[in-house]
Amino acid sequence: MNGGTPSATLVVDPAEGNGAAQGRAPLVALVGPPNSGKSTLFNHLTGLRQRVANYPGVTVERRSGQVSLPTGPVEVIDLPGVHGLSPRSLDQMVTRDVLLGEQEGARQPDAVVLVLDATQLNSHLMVAEPVLGLGLPALVVLTMADELDRREGALRVSRLSGELGVEVALVNARDRATLEPVHRFLKALHTGGEEVRACPIVVAADHVEGHGAGRPLPMIDLFAARRERARALGRSAGFQAPRLSRSTQRLDALVLHRLWGPLIFAGVVALVFQAIFAWAVPLMDGTEAAIAASGDLVRTVLPESWFRSLLIDGVWAGVGSVVVFLPQILILFLFIAVLEDSGYMARAAVIADRLMHRVGLQGKSFLPLLSAYACAVPAIMSARTVEDERDRIATIFVAPFMTCSARLPVYALLIAAFIPAQPMLGPFFGQRAAVLVGLYALGLVAAIGTAAILKGTLLKGRPVPFVMELPPYRLPSVRSVGARLLDRAKVFVRRVGKVILTVTVVLWVLTQLPVTPDGETPPISDSALGRVGHVIEPVIEPLGFDWRIGIGLVTSLAAREVIVGTLGTIYGIENQDSQDFELQAALQRDLDLGAAVALLIFFVFALQCMSTVAVMRRETGGWRWPILQFTYMLLLAYVGAWAANAIL
Amino acid sequence: MRRTDNSAPTPPDRTLADVPLEEEVVLVRMDVAGDDVESLLERGIVPGCKLCPIRHAPAGGPTVYRVDGALVALRKETAACLCVRSALEAAGVLASN
Repeated sequence: MNGGTPSATLVVDPAEGNGAAQGRAPLVALVGPPNSGKSTLFNHLTGLRQRVANYPGVTVERRSGQVSLPTGPVEVIDLPGVHGLSPRSLDQMVTRDVLLGEQEGARQPDAVVLVLDATQLNSHLMVAEPVLGLGLPALVVLTMADELDRREGALRVSRLSGELGVEVALVNARDRATLEPVHRFLKALHTGGEEVRACPIVVAADHVEGHGAGRPLPMIDLFAARRERARALGRSAGFQAPRLSRSTQRLDALVLHRLWGPLIFAGVVALVFQAIFAWAVPLMDGTEAAIAASGDLVRTVLPESWFRSLLIDGVWAGVGSVVVFLPQILILFLFIAVLEDSGYMARAAVIADRLMHRVGLQGKSFLPLLSAYACAVPAIMSARTVEDERDRIATIFVAPFMTCSARLPVYALLIAAFIPAQPMLGPFFGQRAAVLVGLYALGLVAAIGTAAILKGTLLKGRPVPFVMELPPYRLPSVRSVGARLLDRAKVFVRRVGKVILTVTVVLWVLTQLPVTPDGETPPISDSALGRVGHVIEPVIEPLGFDWRIGIGLVTSLAAREVIVGTLGTIYGIENQDSQDFELQAALQRDLDLGAAVALLIFFVFALQCMSTVAVMRRETGGWRWPILQFTYMLLLAYVGAWAANAIL
Repeated sequence: MRRTDNSAPTPPDRTLADVPLEEEVVLVRMDVAGDDVESLLERGIVPGCKLCPIRHAPAGGPTVYRVDGALVALRKETAACLCVRSALEAAGVLASN
């Protein structure tokens, strides 16, 4: 059943290059349902010695870290939260394959730590059967000991251990002393202590290999039987289910209240917006100034050469375009981590579900779409929590319509140049603000319409049950929020950085060629990039754009806001201090109102962001969706811009 | 009120969507198609489990149920596929068998 001993199928992937290649440290996998406290345990064990990567070829994250013990190091991997091992979802498939040693790029663990929430023992024990049944040496860790106690639940750990045939530890993540049995188990992996033993449960083929075709009903029976066994196990371990948390009930009465619920929801959304668009601004300005200053410093130190130009106008500019968004992205991640760890995000998904369901999405699409107002890249990655594949694709397909912050510099430039600063509704809401709100609304409407079209055509299918677990409210710990912030930021910089850097350097090369006869770089209009602008001019002429805007549109593929800098270069604006003003004046000369609005609309719709395209490819496992998305958004942008230019 | 005289189980005529708040019921049948049912089963929503609606989300949104000490929100459409019997009644049927 289990394909032999762990070492018989041990796969060491030398390409992994993360220390596992040494193959010496025992490997332990943390497995458990979502919200069981698995990641908290992982953070406690490994501290900041963690790495996040993806399993090759799939979007499931591979979090690993090392525990240093007196007996030697132990490698720990934190597997995705799962309710079982059937191939129902990608997370469950990867978890099963890792545990069986069949996952590419991962060796089979030498032992399993099964993490279950002690307050939900009856339902969480249902995972124990398929996991322990794999026959790997195991430790069962029951978390939330303090909560079980506080809510008057009870459990005899030694009895459960006797029933399961493996060690069981009842822990409380906030009290390090309770983690001692876990350390003892990990040490025993080196010393061969008696703590390390496998569960003697024999597992039927169904649990490991999924459900055979043509047997529709047994699945229900299978789970009913599994639940019965789990309850019997709980009974013999003297498990008394705790009462529902009073504070959770009280908070839910408020948060899901008919009137207060939606108001609190709106307040939280407003707070997130305020944070990412207002509080992040000084940090972003500071970062931008630091990048510019450091670039200038390098410029004065290095002699003038193609290398200096590549370094500053290519690499520095590329890195800068990513780093400048980092403060905002970090603030967004901070909010998400706090909202998720506190338990509010699940309630927000419940409140949003009704609205989202109407447009063909679901409550869990809310978080990705909210994140997309900062940046589509983390938004698309966070859509992994949407279990249903059709809903997930629909969510990530429409996410780039949300007005990401890279669009704002473009909007700001054009609005300042073409829309008069006249009051409309009182002193605080003028025409400029109205146009900005209109652009946000236009993106939102496009997203809603597109979702509805997709769910009625390409992603049509039976609606799947929406099951949302509501974990008890908990005070988020600084440690777990910090760890999440750090690894999210790393992943963001890696994903976005690579693409933007590559595109920026390629564009730089295109501005340097062909070299003039006297060895100088050509003026931008004669460069390869300039020629691209001239070539596409006939195509964009109906929109009211000339070749200069054409070049800007091409360079904005690196990141939307790059067009501002490009236009500055094209119009030969040297004076940094008056750049904004001079650029506005130059645009007013070259564009009429129709063309300016057309350009705004083009930026609302077009997928001018190669990082998003790259992430889409990764998250959908192929080019089909990103190509479709890019083409669709480009068509919409073209038609929208054409119409605006024709009408105005 | 207990149906101890009727040996044949009465056909369940209620779905979870019809159950008023705070009434505990037992799940007797699931009419959810194919593999979709698995996301419910894995969370312990299987025939024989006790469910109790405790809160409706605003504006006709999902309802929050207590299941085995945990809170789970289900949409009305999903709840309408789950046939239930009141916990008291189910206990009576069991007692009669």
